[in-house]
Amino acid sequence: MIDIIALQAGLDLLFADYSTWLIVVPGILIGLLFGAVPGLQISMAMAIFLPMTLYMDFIQAMLFLTAIFTGGSFGGGIPAILMNIPGTSSSIATTFDGYPMARKGQHNLALGIALGASTISVIVGYILLLFLVKPISELVLKMGPAEMSIIVIWGITLIASLSGQHVIKGMIAGFFGLLLGTVGYGEAGVARGTLGISYLLDGIPVIPAMMGMFAASELFRLVNTKYLVDDSAARKVSISKIFSGFKSVIRYPWVLARGSLIGVLVGAVPGVGSSIANLLSYIQTKRKDPDPDSFGQGNPTGVIASEAANSSSEAGSMATLLALGIPGGGATAVMLAAFSMHNITGGPQFIREQTDIVYAIIFANFGQAFLLIILGLMFIPILANVVKVPMHYLIPSVLALAIFGSFGLTGNLSGPITVLIFSLIGWIFKRYNFSVAAAVIGLLLGGMAEESLIYSYQISGGQWSYLLERPFAILMLIMLMASLFGGRLVKFLTKKVNVNV
Amino acid sequence: MNSKKAHVFFDLIVIATIAALVAWYLYDAYSASSHIINLILVLPLSLIILSLCIIEFINRCKDNDPIIEKLEPVSSVVPVICLFILYITSLAWLGFDVGTSLFIAAFLWLHGERRLIWVLAYSIAFGFLVALFFSSMLPYPMPMLILPSQY
Repeated sequence: MIDIIALQAGLDLLFADYSTWLIVVPGILIGLLFGAVPGLQISMAMAIFLPMTLYMDFIQAMLFLTAIFTGGSFGGGIPAILMNIPGTSSSIATTFDGYPMARKGQHNLALGIALGASTISVIVGYILLLFLVKPISELVLKMGPAEMSIIVIWGITLIASLSGQHVIKGMIAGFFGLLLGTVGYGEAGVARGTLGISYLLDGIPVIPAMMGMFAASELFRLVNTKYLVDDSAARKVSISKIFSGFKSVIRYPWVLARGSLIGVLVGAVPGVGSSIANLLSYIQTKRKDPDPDSFGQGNPTGVIASEAANSSSEAGSMATLLALGIPGGGATAVMLAAFSMHNITGGPQFIREQTDIVYAIIFANFGQAFLLIILGLMFIPILANVVKVPMHYLIPSVLALAIFGSFGLTGNLSGPITVLIFSLIGWIFKRYNFSVAAAVIGLLLGGMAEESLIYSYQISGGQWSYLLERPFAILMLIMLMASLFGGRLVKFLTKKVNVNV
Repeated sequence: MNSKKAHVFFDLIVIATIAALVAWYLYDAYSASSHIINLILVLPLSLIILSLCIIEFINRCKDNDPIIEKLEPVSSVVPVICLFILYITSLAWLGFDVGTSLFIAAFLWLHGERRLIWVLAYSIAFGFLVALFFSSMLPYPMPMLILPSQY
């Protein structure tokens, strides 16, 4: 499974010259910064710094870009925990428990947990990639629209589990979000719900909408609060607590393993990737937990599940890029550009003929994960001081930052206007107990759900028997059903057996 | 109208608004094209939401003693929302630099910060530094009044 000679050659490539590693530290720092500032995307950082890689050799260029990717994957979780702003769509699930932890004064612990889960799962993800790069790429080729539909339905099931006590309202919010996700030009080539506004032809900008729903609406609710953390004693920034949070992650090996596996497998699917991986990992962890009601209230396991999946999805997307030459998202698309700048084409031939480079990239990421621990532990205490800032300074500053970020995402004022509209919707939803998280998930999945349904319909000609020809889709459907109803079925059967005895 | 009744009344308005928006969206989508490809998700989803809205509307009407959590007073949120609307709608002509500084200064003043030098120093420093940072990072021009639009 592992080509030892190529492995040796890969390690030689990495360690023959120490200068290869010099670009990793700035790469991680750039990633952390772009991930931590809402609105600045990892792919944006990579695109901005892509021209610099022209002056590097291919291995250096890959190390630099993957360092930005690794730093950014963790960086996106920082505003999610401290400000309830998911820096990227892959950090949505981190807000569910990370932000409540911060509000309870457990910000040090939450940030440490996020760092621990991110770094460990990057390592686990790349170990999986080391052994499974070929099987993963074969798996990706088997993913058709039917399989994609099942993945999206899996994500949608989260809507029901996020509804809390107000189940019907939660479902209304989630399905309303799904519907909003279909606004704009559809596959039929007609525009829907745009009100004649040209900005809406491409649909509602999801990340600005997310910023408005999660962050701005929450800030409106906090206008009468003095500090993010009420208890002054709990506002301290403690490196020892951050470190203890970091260490505590190893007490949840199954959550980490499940999150990493989901991250690698779902992350490998082009177009779906880390946006859904963190949600699926969160749902599965919540369902398996003996106390599912504690999720959303500041359960550390929720943060681990989300961060483990979004960080390991980097390895999954790299598998698709290296083995098939297909970029799964914006960040890997920039990497593909770096490939072509160095006259290299990803794909089966690349894996076969330049295995040493593939191994070098994988091992470089192990090193990057260790460097991320050091840099993260230095970076987090500075950012954690946010909890000490009085709310009347924090609220306008974060609102303004969200507006800058949303402009950065859309390149015009449609971003800030989206934040404004969705902050109002979010505030009203929270006030009347409609689940904001369910609405955001719906918004994120709406377009994907419609697209995969249409493709399935077109390929199958509307015949359900098409599904029977897709054994992989059937397997996924069985897994989905088992995850949804398996526990209840086992409980029901055990109860019946006990009654009969 | 007591506060509980008012809350339920506005809750019903929110449910009715969502239902109305969904019905309008379905109508708009159907008017654009009645082809199955166009309605494959929109039609069933809209019908599900409308049914759920009806159920929830009836439930809320039947509930004689609803439990209402403690909420922040609307009177304290409305000025912030108005300020936020003003900030965003004025960005095109005030620019991110001046617009942000004014928004932060107004917010601080509204929330009882009376140290004028502190208000001015923080709002100008924050507004201009963040505008400078983003305009140098983003590949497209940003509306600005004083700072250059692009670096």
